[in-house]
Parts: sequence; C-alpha cells; structure tokens
Amino acid sequence: MALEEIDKAIDLVGLDNVYKKYLGKKGEIASFFGSLKNLPEKDRKEVGRCLNSFKKLLEEKIKIKEQEFKKSLKLFKNNKLDVSIPGKKIKTGHLHPLTLVKRRAENIFGEMGFSIAQGPEIEDEWHNFDALNIPKNHPARDMWDTFWLKNGKLLRTHTSPVQIRYMKKNNPPIRIIVPGRIFRHEATDASHEINFYQLEGLMIDKDISISNFKAIIQEFFSRFFNKVIEARLRPSFFPFTEPSFEVDMSCVVCEGTGCSVCSSTGWIEIMGAGMVHPNVLKAGGLIPRQKAKDTGWQGFAFGIGLDRLTMMKYKIDDIRLLYSGDIRFLKQF
Amino acid sequence: MLFSYNWLKEYVKKLPRPEKLAQTLTMKAFEVEEVKKARKDYCLDIDVLANRAPDCFSHIGIARECALCLNANFSLPETRIKEDKKIKAPDFLSIIVENKEDCLRYTARVIDDVKVKDSPKWIQERLKTCGLRSINNIVDIANYVMLETGQPLHVFDFNKLEAESSKKKIIVRRAVRGEEIITLDDEKYILDKDILIIADSKGPLAIAGIKGGKKAEIDKNTKRIVLESANFNSALVRQASQKIRLRTDASFRFEHKIDPNLTEKAINRAAGLINKVTGGEIVSEILDINYFKSNPIKINLQVWRVESLLGFKVSKKEIIDILKKLEFKIIKTNSVSIMVEVPSFRLDVSLPEDLIEEIGRIKGYKNIPSIFPIGYLVPPKKNYDVFWEDIAKDGLKEMGFIESYNYSFVNEKDIQFLGFFNPVELENPISSDLKFLRPSLIPNLLKNILSNFRYLDEVKMFELGNIFFNGFKEKRMLTGFIASKSRGEQFYSVKGAIDNLLNTMGIANIWYDDFEQTPEQSNSLIWEKDRSAEIKVDFQEIGFLGEISQKVLDDYKIAGKVIFFDVDFEKLSKIALEEREYQPVSQYPPAIRDIAVLVPFEVKVIDAMNKINLAGGDLVADVDLFDIYQGEGLPDGKKNLAFHIIFQSKNKTLGLEEINALQDKIIKALESNPEWEVRK
Repeated sequence: MALEEIDKAIDLVGLDNVYKKYLGKKGEIASFFGSLKNLPEKDRKEVGRCLNSFKKLLEEKIKIKEQEFKKSLKLFKNNKLDVSIPGKKIKTGHLHPLTLVKRRAENIFGEMGFSIAQGPEIEDEWHNFDALNIPKNHPARDMWDTFWLKNGKLLRTHTSPVQIRYMKKNNPPIRIIVPGRIFRHEATDASHEINFYQLEGLMIDKDISISNFKAIIQEFFSRFFNKVIEARLRPSFFPFTEPSFEVDMSCVVCEGTGCSVCSSTGWIEIMGAGMVHPNVLKAGGLIPRQKAKDTGWQGFAFGIGLDRLTMMKYKIDDIRLLYSGDIRFLKQF
Repeated sequence: MLFSYNWLKEYVKKLPRPEKLAQTLTMKAFEVEEVKKARKDYCLDIDVLANRAPDCFSHIGIARECALCLNANFSLPETRIKEDKKIKAPDFLSIIVENKEDCLRYTARVIDDVKVKDSPKWIQERLKTCGLRSINNIVDIANYVMLETGQPLHVFDFNKLEAESSKKKIIVRRAVRGEEIITLDDEKYILDKDILIIADSKGPLAIAGIKGGKKAEIDKNTKRIVLESANFNSALVRQASQKIRLRTDASFRFEHKIDPNLTEKAINRAAGLINKVTGGEIVSEILDINYFKSNPIKINLQVWRVESLLGFKVSKKEIIDILKKLEFKIIKTNSVSIMVEVPSFRLDVSLPEDLIEEIGRIKGYKNIPSIFPIGYLVPPKKNYDVFWEDIAKDGLKEMGFIESYNYSFVNEKDIQFLGFFNPVELENPISSDLKFLRPSLIPNLLKNILSNFRYLDEVKMFELGNIFFNGFKEKRMLTGFIASKSRGEQFYSVKGAIDNLLNTMGIANIWYDDFEQTPEQSNSLIWEKDRSAEIKVDFQEIGFLGEISQKVLDDYKIAGKVIFFDVDFEKLSKIALEEREYQPVSQYPPAIRDIAVLVPFEVKVIDAMNKINLAGGDLVADVDLFDIYQGEGLPDGKKNLAFHIIFQSKNKTLGLEEINALQDKIIKALESNPEWEVRK
C-alpha cells in the first residue's frame, strides 16, 4: 500500500503527504510501534524488527523519490525560458525614407526597362528653361520660382533638363528615369520645401502614345502601392509637353469611394506628364515624328514628386520632417 | 480666377448645375478649384491654364469652353453701337504711338456728357462675385468689359488732359528717367525708360497696361471721357510690372498676351454699355493706331498623327466637328489630312500637336485605353553611381549609422566657423540665413548632432549628397560621424567603419596618413590637427577622417567628442570594384604566437606590422594588434605593442622548429632598430 502510494506521488507535496501518513509522529508506523506492547513478549522482538526494516525501506524510497523530484525541479528551473523577456537590442542604422522610396521607384521602372540617368544640380538657363520651350520673359517662367546664383546660373527647378542632356548623348529608343534633388524659391510649410526630390521619366521611340504612358504609370503605381491603381488624365499645360496633362491616381486609402485623403473625390493629384514637345526633341538633337510615320521620334515625359510619394506611403503629414535630421523620426524607417 | 455662374449662363443657356459644370470643366478644360455660393449667384474659381490666358481670362472664353465641353450652343452679347455724328473724335484728340514694338494697337473712343454715379446693381453684383470693388459706373463698365472679353480698358477724364493747343494728344511712349506718377491708389512711382506710359503733352497719365494715374481720374464732375483699349507688348508690361512691383488685373492679362483684334470689339462693347447706362453720347469715329498685320496661322494636320499620339482612333469627321466647334476654319481636307486656320484669339495654337491636344481633351482623356508600348527589348543600363550609392548606404546602415537628408544651403556663420573660402553665393536667397550653397556636408550634420543630443548621448549619422564650391562646381560627397557625449576614443571606430565600407566596395590598399594642412585647403578649421588623418587608396587621397576641432565644436555649442569622415564619393565609386576572387582556405592548421615589443612613443603601429610581415613573408597569415600600453612600469617615452601573429601555410602543417625560426627572424627584424626591444 505505502509503496504504491510513493510511486503514485506526482510532486514533493504528494510525497510529503505519504510521509506524514506513514512515517509522521502520528503516522501508521508510529501507531504500530505503539501497539507492540499489546503483543506477546516473544513476538514483540520479531515484529519490531520487521517494522523497523519496513520503516527504513519507506524512508529510503521516499528519499530517492524526493531526490528525483528535486532534480527534475532543478532541471526545470535551469532550462525553461521566459520568452516574454524583451529581446536584446541589436543596434543597426536606418536609411532615410526618401532613399527607400527612390530605390523602390528605381526598381519598378528598372523592371520595365528604364535606365537611371542623372544630371547636375547647378544648371544653366538654357537647359532649365530655353531648351524646354520656356522662353525668356515669358510668364510661363513664373511657374518655377527659381534660385539664381551670383554667376547667372541657377539651381535646377526640375529634373527635366536631364531630358535634354540625355537626348544629346543617346540615341532612341530612350527609356530613362531621373531621380534627383530640385529647388524652388518659395515659402516653406507642411507641403512645401525649398529643396525636394523629383523623379523624371522619359520614353522616346517610334510610336509611343498617351495610352502607353497610361499603362506604364498605372503599372508603376500599382506595384508601388501593392494594389490596383487607376490613373486619370486631365488637361494641363507645360511648355515642354503637348498634349500635357495632370495625372490623378485612384485614392490608395479609400480606393475611390471617397475619404479625407482624397478630399472625398476618390482621386489624388499626383504628377504632371505629357507628350514631349517637338521643340524639346529638337533641342535634344532629335527629329520629331511629324512629317511621316517612318521618320522621327515621339514619346512621353513625366515628373513625380518623390517627397509626396514618400509622405503618402508612410502617412507623413509634414514635408519638413524629411529634412529635419531628427533621429526620432528617422529611426522609424 | 473668379467667374460668375450667372454671367456664363447668359451665353450658354443650357448650363448644368454649378457643381456638375465644375466637374465637366475640370475633366475637359480647366480645373475648377472651388464653387462658392455668392448671393443669388455662384462664384467659380477656375485655374485657367497659363497658355489659355489670352482667350480664357474672360467670361466669353470660359463660356466658349463650357459650350464646347457640354456640346451646347453659345451666343455672344450684342456689340452694335450708335455713334453721335455731330462731332468727330479726331477733331479734338490725336493718338501718337512712338514705337510700334511697344504697342501693337491703340484704340480710343471719346464719349460725351456722361453722368458719373454708382453703377447699376447687376454690374455691381457681377464685379463683386468676381472679386472686384465697385468704383463708379464708368470705371465699373471698363472693368466689366475686361472680365467679359479679357481686354483691359482704361478711362481718362478728357478735360483733365493738358495740351498746348485746342487739340489734345495721347502719347504712348517710354518714360524718361526720373519721371514720376501718382497712381489712382495714391502711390508714387518713379519711372524710367524701361517703363511704357500713356502721357498727355505734359506728362504721364498712366503706366501702360498696369495702372492709371491720379491726374486724369474720373470723378463725379467728369463729362467727357477717353476710353482706351490697347494691345501693349507683353514682355514690356511684364518687365515693368516686376520692376515697380505692381501687378494688377490688367497687367496680368497683358503679360499673357492678348489678341490684337480684341481692342476694337471690347471698346465698342464698353462704349455701348456706357451709352446705355450713363446716357453718354458716343462721339463718332474710332481712333485706331493699328500696326497689327493679321496673318492667320495655318496648320496641316495629318489624320494618322491623332491616333499615333493619343493612342485611340478618332474619325476624320469627328476631328473636323471638334475643330469647327473650337472656331477653327477648315480650309481644305483630303483623305489623309486637314488644313485649318487658327482663330486669332487662340494664341496658344501653332502646331499639329496643339490641335491633337484639343481633340484629345474634348473627346475625353478617359477614353484613352492603357496599352503597354511595343518596342525593342533593350535592357536598362546599369547606373554604377546609383549602384555604389546603394552599396555604401546599406553598408553604413548595417554599421549603425542613420541616414540624414539636409538642406543644400548654409548660412554665413557656417562659412565663418569652418573657414570656407569662396563659397557659392545665391543671388536671391530665401532668407539671409540660407545665403550660400553648402561647401561641405559637415556644417548641417553638425547641426543634426546638436539637435539630437537633446535626446541621445551617442549619435551616428551620415549623408550622401552634392556639395558646391569654388567656381560653381559641384561634387558628390559621403560624410558621416560618430558623436558622443562621453570622452571615450571613437576615432578607431570610425576608422574601422571606413575600412569596412571600402572593403564592401571592393577597395583594397587603404591606408591612413597624418593630416597635412596645405595652405590652399579651405577646410582649415575643421579638423583637430594631431587627431586627424587623410584616407588614401594607393596614392590617391579620397577623403579625411578625424576629430572635429574644439573651436568648431564650441562654435556649434556641441559638448562632446565628434569624429567625422568626409569622403569624395565620385572618386570612391570610380575605384570601387564589383568583382571578387575566391582565395582557397588553407587545409593546414594555423599556429598563433604573441610578440610584445617596446618602441619609442612616436613609432607608428603600421611600421611594426610592416616589419613583422616583411620578415615573416607568406607564412604570416595575419598580424593582429591586441594591446597598446604606455605609462606606469615602462621607461619614459616608450610604449608597448602586443601582437598576435598567425602563422599558416597553404601547403603543409608548420612544424614547431619552423615556427620558432620564423619567430626568431621576426624578433631580429624588430630589434634591428636599437631603440626597439622585444620583451621576452
């Protein structure tokens, strides 16, 4: 009985109960010893010896069992992890959100066959304006508030001058994007900065149309935002494209049903684009496709604000954060 | 620009509700930014595109667009007038235009016996909706006709014109330097030869196309008026307006050019209204100095081009319909092309592409399908500048640096503090605080340290961007730092980061030389002299590494220790290598021995390492400095360098004797200098 109970004990408490029941001061063994005096003299010795050896056996068994329990408890204490303890911080750095967005855009366009081109941030008037069909003393120049340098050069107001620089050095087919820093002389606020980033696109080939632009740009936005995005074109005016349009994309938040991000219209104005103006092609040294189907080139160009794209992607509400150098902001990316 | 809904409705009878109209215009013509209730009217704020200013800075122009977009009918106001034949304007007024380049056309009318008072309610209401203040009936009508037709008009009080004879003169001429005018709003302007004026025989009456003068102002006693409707040179008005810093509804329209044919239509419309509203008699004969030679633009549109640009088919019949509605004259057509004449009010149209845009937007851009382009599969070129930028940025990020984007601008203090020569200066800085282009990425990064030290004890950042220097040149730099409030030595951490970075970019043969100041070096104040290095690859210097001088830290109020690296990224990406070659791993065990050598304090560690490598030859696989000690227990002026030397052969297991022999050889080499002592 007692041996069985020792075997059945599942923990130290159970074992202690067994001990108390048989070996305690008022336990069964003790009471047997108490009742020895009731036995005949000659049997007392024999029974007493039996009881003693039984008592020893029990004590031994319980001790072994107890050690077993203690050992496994110790093991338990050493091996079991508290998985709720916070992980050790591994200090890595962070890339700027504009870098992340620029890379993503470069990759998507790269997959569609666009190369990356670059150009200088200090530009001359000819590349920034004249070559882009924006003549001197023309009110169209007011569309770009310009920083001028003491030597008459300027800080590029858009990445479009690279169109000209690239066309002069490369023959079509041309498929490029130009990510880069640009400058505008205007007051700063939550959505305006004096320097920011633009991603220019240029595709020139024999028979490129607006419908090709629409396909490319929808694909870009869909991949960028990981959902199906539709593009909507509205008439606009840029001296360097004809036709020109403003591009809206279906709202990434409400998907067209209307919300605060798209001011309940379902559309977000995102960029300007158009078919490259013949004068711009000429300035780049290319023959515009005008006279006959098999001579000359045509294509589209566009400019996306990378800051705006970044702000939409990460829901940043103030452009100035991007240029603040504030680590509390930067470490979130 | 503000437009009155009721006014538009006068020309286009079947106008839909304002919100609906706004939507249609936005998709097919111009973005309507706002529709506002304005008493019994609605005010539409329309963002007229800059190239359409000549015809659409007017209610008639916008009404024409509405009719076109809605496929509705459109009718213009009556402009026939009744002249009073008793007297003739040329008998007592003559117009002189001194230079036809400045003023292509000057049209004037004289109106007699006007009664100046408040204008009728309907005129006042419309002006108010469009954001103009009511003055009196004469001035209001001039403004009204401007809003209606797009032609700015001006009115003079005839009796206030001064003249030498009974016949008065209106002269369109350049101002003489120093000439003055008091404008209608009592402002005084000093003029010069770049500014065109309207004058009488004595002096200025108005700044042409910009603002009228006080001198011939209409007042309640005015009886006889001269109405002016002119076409001034757009560039001249623009320049003058910029020069005197005065922009008006009139100058804004002139800057964008106006159809010269409009002067006559507008003046007759205004005369008719003045006659009707004030009872003034229109003196017979119009005065019209007209140098404009009408030479309508003809465009030959090849039909295939429409589809080729838009990406969807539009039939020849549809094309012709749209162009006709736009008031283009179809001169002739054949099976493949259409010859059109551009109406004079469409100053923005001169190319087939311009026509295609009109066809596209009226047909509706929403009809354009999205189709991927067909062309040769030309794989994109790899841009190595961008490629290496990405590698470098990733490398620094992995080493715990945070990327910053700062302004390209710095202020005068930055230039002063860091001692830059000849910084690139802006002609028109946005504020005196941002007067120069950054000659280095360091100043703005220093400001990052200061602002982040408010929350952090250690800051590791970098930036990759263009700097601008001497001669308006620019260069791409990679600059970063470890800044720490504690005084611990961080130089070697930054050095290690640079080693790591350059290795990632496949650049070997990196070494560091003492920083030597050359006199022409502009960054003379940045580096702490004895605690900075030049980073070199082979014999080329690619940048600097070191502690920022205490003076600069004090200037920027940074309390701590700052170690910067400042690398010419253009040089770096030129020598960077993508290729790697596998080095077989030795199959034989390495043996490690330690050597400690006592050397004079000024000895460089690299010299000791070179001696070890040279003496040990190929069998020394690596030498690793594990301790430098100077101070207590060592003789004065000495330091102890301790190295692990790893011996390993590619061909065999090195025997004990061989290793001992090598070790002895190294010790001998080190001790060849009598001042060096290997500690045994």
